[in-house]
Amino acid sequence: MTPAARRPVLPLMGKALLDTWRSTLVWALVLLSVLALYLPLYPSMAGPEMERLLASLPEELISALDYDQIATGAGYAQATFFGLLGFMLSSAVAIGTGAAAIGGDEDEGLLELTLAHGVTRTQVVLERSLALLLRMAFLMMVIYAGVLALNGPSELGLDPGTLVQAVAQFLLLVLLGGTAALLGGAAGGHRTHGTAAGALVAVGGYMLNALGNQGEDLQWMHAFSPYHWALGGQPVANGVDWSALWGLAGLNVLFVALAVFALRRRDVGGA
Amino acid sequence: MENVIEVQGLAKSFGHREALRGIDFEIPRGSVFGVIGPNGAGKTTAMRCLLDIIRPTAGQVRVLGTDPRRAGPEIRRRIGYLPGELALERRITGRRMMDHFAAISGPVAPGRVEELASRLGLELDRQSRKLSKGNKQKLGLVQAFMHDPELLILDEPTSGLDPLMQREFLGMVEDARGRGQTLFLSSHLIGEIEQAADRVAILRDGLIVRTATVQELRAGARRRLRVLAATDPETLAAALEPLPGLELLDTEKLGEGVGALEARFSGEVGALLHALAGVEVLDLVLEEPDLEEAVLELYGSLPGNGRHRAGEPRP
Repeated sequence: MTPAARRPVLPLMGKALLDTWRSTLVWALVLLSVLALYLPLYPSMAGPEMERLLASLPEELISALDYDQIATGAGYAQATFFGLLGFMLSSAVAIGTGAAAIGGDEDEGLLELTLAHGVTRTQVVLERSLALLLRMAFLMMVIYAGVLALNGPSELGLDPGTLVQAVAQFLLLVLLGGTAALLGGAAGGHRTHGTAAGALVAVGGYMLNALGNQGEDLQWMHAFSPYHWALGGQPVANGVDWSALWGLAGLNVLFVALAVFALRRRDVGGA
Repeated sequence: MENVIEVQGLAKSFGHREALRGIDFEIPRGSVFGVIGPNGAGKTTAMRCLLDIIRPTAGQVRVLGTDPRRAGPEIRRRIGYLPGELALERRITGRRMMDHFAAISGPVAPGRVEELASRLGLELDRQSRKLSKGNKQKLGLVQAFMHDPELLILDEPTSGLDPLMQREFLGMVEDARGRGQTLFLSSHLIGEIEQAADRVAILRDGLIVRTATVQELRAGARRRLRVLAATDPETLAAALEPLPGLELLDTEKLGEGVGALEARFSGEVGALLHALAGVEVLDLVLEEPDLEEAVLELYGSLPGNGRHRAGEPRP
C-alpha cells in the first residue's frame, strides 16, 4: 500500500516559509532602511546637542520613551530602534504572521481542507509556530548584521557579543506578540481575534512599561510588561538578562501550547 | 458486507441551531451513497463530522472502523475529501498545490495527477486565482482522487461543472467503484447523482426523511399521463379514476367521440394498461418519472412546507 513513501520533513512549516519569503525579504529591507536612517545620526546628536535636546524635553516624556540612556551609543540604538520603531515593525510582522497562521487560514476556508488531509491539529499549530519563529529569527539576523555594519561608521561602540544577546532577547519579545496572535486565532477562529490578542500583548506591554517609568508608585507595572522584561535592563549595553530570557521563552511556549489545546478541542470553520 | 461508514443518532447543534437532529445511515464497502437535500439541510455538517473537522453533539460515528475523533492522520490519508465550499489558495499553481497535498496525504502514484487533470481538461500550471469556478472545482476533485483513497467524501462534487464535465465526473465515480473504492456524495439535485449512486438518503431540516435506491425512488415518483381515446372523456375518466396512484388533472372533449385525459400517475404501469384494455386508445403518453419533483416533495421545499417535521403529515 505504501510504495516507498518518502514524506518531506515538516511539510507545513516548509510551505509556510516558502509562501512568505517575498514579504520576509521586503520586511528585511524595511528594517535595514530604518537602521540606516537612525543609527548614522548618532555622532551628530551625541554631545552638547543631545544634552540640550534632552534638557528641553519634559522629564515624563524622556522616561516614557526610555530616553534617559540615549546619550550613549548602546542607549541610542536601543531607544531609537529596539525600543521604538524596530519593536513596532518587528511586532507587526510577528503579529501578522501569527494571526494568519491559524485564524487567517480558517477565515479563508483553507484550514478545513488541510485538516482533512494526513495531518494532526497539533502538527499544524507546531509547524506553523516553528515557521513564525524561523521567519522572525531571520529578520533578527538581518537586524544584527545591519547594526553591526553601522556600528563603526556610526561610532556606536557596541560590543558584537553583547549585541547577540540583546537581539536574542529582543527576538523573544517580538515573538511573544506573534505567538499571542497565533493563540488568539487558534482559540477564536478568526484573523481579527489573533490580531487583537497580539496587539494587546505588544501594545499593552509597551504601555505598562511607559507608565511604570513615570514614578515609584507606578513601577509595579513593570512586572507585567514583557517589554520591560526584555528591554528594561538595557540589554544592548548590558547583555542578556537570564530571568527575562527564560520568562519570555516560557511564555512563548505557553502560548503555543495553549494554541494546540484550543484548536484541538473546537470545531473548525464555525457554524 | 463490511461498512466503511456507520452513523447512529448523529446530531450536531451550533448554539441553538440544530443542524443535524439524529441521523442514521451506513455505507457498505465498494458502494456509492448519495445524500440529497436543500441548502442548510445538514449535508455539509454530516460530512464534516465524518472528517473530525467539527465534532458531533451526540451519536456514534465510525469511519473505516474508527471514531474520527480519535482517528490519526493515517485514517485521513485513506480518505479523499472535497469540501462543499471549496476554498483554494490564490497565488499558487495547481501543480504546486497538488504537490503540497501529496506531501501531507500521499502517497500519490507518479503521473496520477496529470492523468486526472487531462481527464478533466485542467491546466495544472496556471495560478489558481486565474481559474474559473469550474476549474477550481476540478482542482478540488483532483486532490480528492489523486491518492486513490479507499473512501471518497465529496460535498457537491458537480457544482460548477458543465454538463460535459459532470459526465466525466460520473465516469470517475464509475472507475472508482470498479476499483472497490467507496463513495459518499452529496448534491441538492438528485439528477446530478442519480446515475452514480446505489442508494440515496434524503435529508431535510437535519433529519433523513427517506433512504432508498434510485429505482425505488423512481418507482414511487409521479409521472405525467396523457391519454387520447375514441370515447367521451367521462367514460375515459371513469375507467381510470379507480386506479391507485392516479390523480386526475383534466379531461377534454376533442370532438364527437374523442376524449382526452390528463393525470399524474405514480402507480403500476401494468394496472394502467389493464384499466385501458376496454378503451380504444388513440394516443398514450406516459412521461419519465420526475425524480426531482419526487425529491422536492419528500423534503418539503415546496412553498410553505419548509418548517414541517418528518413525523408530521405532509399535504
